[in-house]
Amino acid sequence: MIPIISLMILIALIGAIVTIFTKTKEHARIIALVTSVVTLVGSLYMFFNFDSQSAALQFVDTFEWIPSIGVSYTVAVDGISMPLVLLTSIVIPLIVLYSWNESKNPGKFYGMILATYAGVIGVFTAMDFFLFYVFWELSIIPMFFMINMWGGPEKAYASIKFLLYTHVASLVMLLGIFGLFFGAYFQAGITTFDIPTLLSQYQLFESELARTMIFIALLIGFIVKMPAVPFHSWLPHAYVQAPTAGTILMAAIMSKMGAYALFRFILPMLPFSGSADLMITVLAALGVLSIIYGAFLALAQDDIKRMIAFSSVSHMGFVTLGAVALIPLSVSGAMFQMFSHGIITCLMFMAIGAIQTSTGTRLISELGGLAQKMPKLAFLMVAGFMAYLGLPGFSGFIAEFTVLNFSYISLPGYVLVALIAIVITAAYHLWALQRAMFGVYNEKLGNEIRDITNLQTFSMAVFALLALYFGLNPSPVMDMIITNAEQIVGLMATAGV
Amino acid sequence: MIGLEHYLILSAIIFSIGLYGLMTLNNGIRLMMCIELMLNAAIINLVAFSAYSHDITGQVFALFVIALAAAEAAIGLAIMLAIYRIRDDIELNEINILRW
Amino acid sequence: MNIGDFAFLIPLLPALAFVITLFFGKRLYSGGALIPIGAIGASFIISLLITINILQNPDQVIHQSVHWFAIFNLGILIDPLAAVMLTMVSFVSLLIHIYAIGYMEHDPAKPRYFAETSLFTAAMLGVVLSDNILQMFIFWELVGLCSYLLIGFWYQKPSAAAAAKKAFLTTRVGDVMFLAGIIILFASLFQAFHGEVPEGVYLLQFSEMFNHIDALAAMNATILGMEVSHLTIIALLFFGGAIGKSGQFPLHVWLPDAMEGPTTVSALIHAATMVTAGVYLVARTFPMFLSAPDALIIVAYLGGFTALFAATMGLVMNDIKRVLAYSTVSQLGYMVLGLGMGAVVGLEAIGVSMFHLINHAFFKALLFLCAGSVIHAIGTQDMRQMGGLLKAMPITAGTMLVASLALAGFGIPGTSIGTSGFFSKDAIIETAFVFGEYSHDWIPYIFAILAALLTSIYIFRLFFMTFTGKSRNNAKAHEAPSIMTVPLLILAVFSLVFGALTLKPFIAFMERTFDNNVISLNIEHLATLGNYDLVLEHGPEPLFILWLPVIVAVAGLLISYLLYYKQVIDVSKVVSRENPVYKLLYNRYYQHKIFTELLATRIVYELISLSADYFDRKFIDTIVDGIGKITMSAGNFMRKIQTGVVQNYVAAVVAGVGLLIILFRLIVEVI
Repeated sequence: MIPIISLMILIALIGAIVTIFTKTKEHARIIALVTSVVTLVGSLYMFFNFDSQSAALQFVDTFEWIPSIGVSYTVAVDGISMPLVLLTSIVIPLIVLYSWNESKNPGKFYGMILATYAGVIGVFTAMDFFLFYVFWELSIIPMFFMINMWGGPEKAYASIKFLLYTHVASLVMLLGIFGLFFGAYFQAGITTFDIPTLLSQYQLFESELARTMIFIALLIGFIVKMPAVPFHSWLPHAYVQAPTAGTILMAAIMSKMGAYALFRFILPMLPFSGSADLMITVLAALGVLSIIYGAFLALAQDDIKRMIAFSSVSHMGFVTLGAVALIPLSVSGAMFQMFSHGIITCLMFMAIGAIQTSTGTRLISELGGLAQKMPKLAFLMVAGFMAYLGLPGFSGFIAEFTVLNFSYISLPGYVLVALIAIVITAAYHLWALQRAMFGVYNEKLGNEIRDITNLQTFSMAVFALLALYFGLNPSPVMDMIITNAEQIVGLMATAGV
Repeated sequence: MIGLEHYLILSAIIFSIGLYGLMTLNNGIRLMMCIELMLNAAIINLVAFSAYSHDITGQVFALFVIALAAAEAAIGLAIMLAIYRIRDDIELNEINILRW
Repeated sequence: MNIGDFAFLIPLLPALAFVITLFFGKRLYSGGALIPIGAIGASFIISLLITINILQNPDQVIHQSVHWFAIFNLGILIDPLAAVMLTMVSFVSLLIHIYAIGYMEHDPAKPRYFAETSLFTAAMLGVVLSDNILQMFIFWELVGLCSYLLIGFWYQKPSAAAAAKKAFLTTRVGDVMFLAGIIILFASLFQAFHGEVPEGVYLLQFSEMFNHIDALAAMNATILGMEVSHLTIIALLFFGGAIGKSGQFPLHVWLPDAMEGPTTVSALIHAATMVTAGVYLVARTFPMFLSAPDALIIVAYLGGFTALFAATMGLVMNDIKRVLAYSTVSQLGYMVLGLGMGAVVGLEAIGVSMFHLINHAFFKALLFLCAGSVIHAIGTQDMRQMGGLLKAMPITAGTMLVASLALAGFGIPGTSIGTSGFFSKDAIIETAFVFGEYSHDWIPYIFAILAALLTSIYIFRLFFMTFTGKSRNNAKAHEAPSIMTVPLLILAVFSLVFGALTLKPFIAFMERTFDNNVISLNIEHLATLGNYDLVLEHGPEPLFILWLPVIVAVAGLLISYLLYYKQVIDVSKVVSRENPVYKLLYNRYYQHKIFTELLATRIVYELISLSADYFDRKFIDTIVDGIGKITMSAGNFMRKIQTGVVQNYVAAVVAGVGLLIILFRLIVEVI
């Protein structure tokens, strides 16, 4: 059998290295496109051959790496990671197409995209903590350079803040991983970094303090990455200063790394974390806080990219809320929200990137009446905004409705509070549309405004259609999610939570 | 009879002289001389203990230290010479452009 | 083949027309108008055939369902209620589309217009034939989206963009309540199933919901110390959705502003699509309202109040479309009031209410299209600049008069002579009388009668100001082309005769909605769950009561005739900014100030949002940056230790060695 996941990671890595050393723009972008399309074919192959009825790991590829400390190279997918792998490999080629005309250091630019890609796919598929951590860091570093080299005016501040904040968090997470490793070593005398083994060993640790500490250490690592309020303050700077491609990578894909880890590690560990009820309360409160707080902050922004950045925080709050509600379908809804948010947020940031390149500003107060000059963008942007505010027919609605509907069964109060955000969300989206796109054309913007290029139209239209498709027919992704969600929740039930 | 303690006292005196010089002087050459004194005090100790315990290892180490001290003096003097050429002066505390 | 097998085409054809017209409309005749017209025409024919089928055999309703995702389904349920709605929506929408060919002739964005109206119709048809409440909500939101797009059709106008946003957001408030209702309903049903939902059972289907009303009625929640039935909460949350879409107080504020769109869009919103959705929702889930204590009473009061409240504002508006907009709000109030009367008359309430909805659709579409014709001819919406159009536009004036008579409810009680509005509105007023008679609560009846008087005054004021007197406008008015007048005439015929022909059978037909092969309910049992005493037989009302609505309508006509035609007193003296009542009405009870400026801008945006932003920047970010700064300054401080003076280092080494020796000695001694 072909080790398809390893091949994907390898191709992306090789592509990244080759692209970095490519001199001309034309070569670099062709190599990047070919690399990402080849890997897309790989993940589509997996997607269509995936067995949605099984919660087990599929397409497993494993060998010993450093036997003396129990490190193995194991990659595989299951229902949690398959949609995210698919999402990532759909997003990358379209990002390359969208930034087809990048002329500042093009080789390194596309190289960084591909390096991040390899890291993220690795994170989503690694079944060994050591490997997981390697890929986790691999995805952060290129992003730092992305912001630092191609970013906006405050790129230095933003990139350092991003790197330090997320890196400190991942160091805390590393401590948690060590805790798990040594816990298993002292408890059972085994040396392994294998994720399923360590997770099943975790519940046997005698010291409740150790279990709580490990849990919290891992949680901090993931929740900063998502991020949840109040650990979000790196996000607006990083999202706003990064180039459009970088913002999309962060918002659509890298924020899912933290959320993914929530389902992969945190939920299975939750029942044994010492005080599960307290943890659920805290996490649910953080989720709802993110939803509401993100929405209100988005309403206050004048910079439209910052607005979408906070909106992203708000949407990721649904993931946390659905995850800790611990009803199979609320967990599924939360996972589906990751997938759906990934698709829609690409469309949003692409639209904003297009506004910035053609008008030179992102401030809503300096825009106005753009729809008259950029009808294609206006059309796609309205579609994107509608999808983002959770209009039925788009995938966002399926996700948010599932989360809210099923979370209500176990966390009614939180859901009722979160519902307020739906109105606020609609308010800031529509208000921004009204001021930026509609009304009288702002003559200060000049007459040189051009509509988006055909490539940009294409990549945005693909996302709009994907959001529409998964909004009308969520089953292909939903089915594979549900199987694993039921397994996770079943684990809770046996633990008595 | 001259015993071990005589050697140790001698060595302590030499070491203290070196240390005193190190703490009070500012001229690079003088400092290097003081360091040499302290190294030699250590060598006396090594040889004395070696003779006292009939173990040749200490004397071997003494030879090592002498060789190292020679090398150190060579490099140190070269640095001093280089500094003197640039600044006409080898007051060590004046050389602070890399500080902070 | 059974005609029911084609039911899925009813919303699908207009939806496909949307896609085709949007992308290829530019190259087709009249911006591709014929495609939506053809699609909606086909939907109308299918709906009509289905309705005839069901009329012949009301036991056999159409129900189809397929699995969608997780534990939800997509389905079609066409029972008597849905059938008449489908037919009405597709018919009125078809006429408006035909009229729009003429009305929108000179607009460059025609393809977009016809695409969006087509989608609008599709969404409304989808709302009507949904067999489960989630699917209904989806189409419901789609209706909201289309209203947003169409009200903001001329997006270059700042007022249009603002109105579109206001419409979407205001209805969104209602939608969130609706959504909350669905969520709570689902959770309660889930609880009723003890968390084990069998395969193939879809909890949110109407039939499933109604089958478990008993279980839901047993559930209570405590809110602010009061024991409230889950059913009441759910029903009122659904009603919250209806308030938003159907423009009931206090979420009616978007409707008058929605006049910023093309007049044909207003006609669509006010007659066929959108606003009727709320009334339809309550009618559709009526068994839940009937078994929810107090819910129907609240519905009745709010409807009655809205009917009166909106009519007062209709009196003073100068924009011809705004008068009609407030008229719609007021008439919707009647429909909601009629539904609330179910507390006494049971299922008959759906009959009267839906009957008024259908008739209202005819005459209100007619009113708007006539107004559109007038606006098309003279290019202004301000009635103060109209006048004397009777001669120039006879067909428009004639059909407008018919529509006005229907709206005011002219007819002769006891006979079958009368406009359609007469039969339907009087039916509601009579049920309100029955309600008063049996519950001794006369407030809804008083609301209804007063609103009827005001209705008559404002509509004839509009008529006289527009069509009679001297022309106050320089534009050369002319009659609209026949593609616009033919729909007017068709609607006029329906406004005149539909009510007289169908009243009794219609109500009987509506009652079969909850008595057929899919949904079969024991209405009296449900009413006992809700603590309502039903009066199933109520005799002929006193003659005075039958005549009273007509009397007030005539009185209204007379008042308008004297004031605006004969001008016996100078209206402009009363109508001045100094008059506090006028000022209050003219400023629409300061709703704009309260809702938009105070609530939305001051409280939500400035107070909460901006201060949250300030908090985020100044507090959270400061903490994070502060940690960095502390680290930096600690380093800054500590590096001073590296003095670069040899003597300091030597001293430190000596001190360190000394310290080690002391420590070593201490440790040795302790051990």
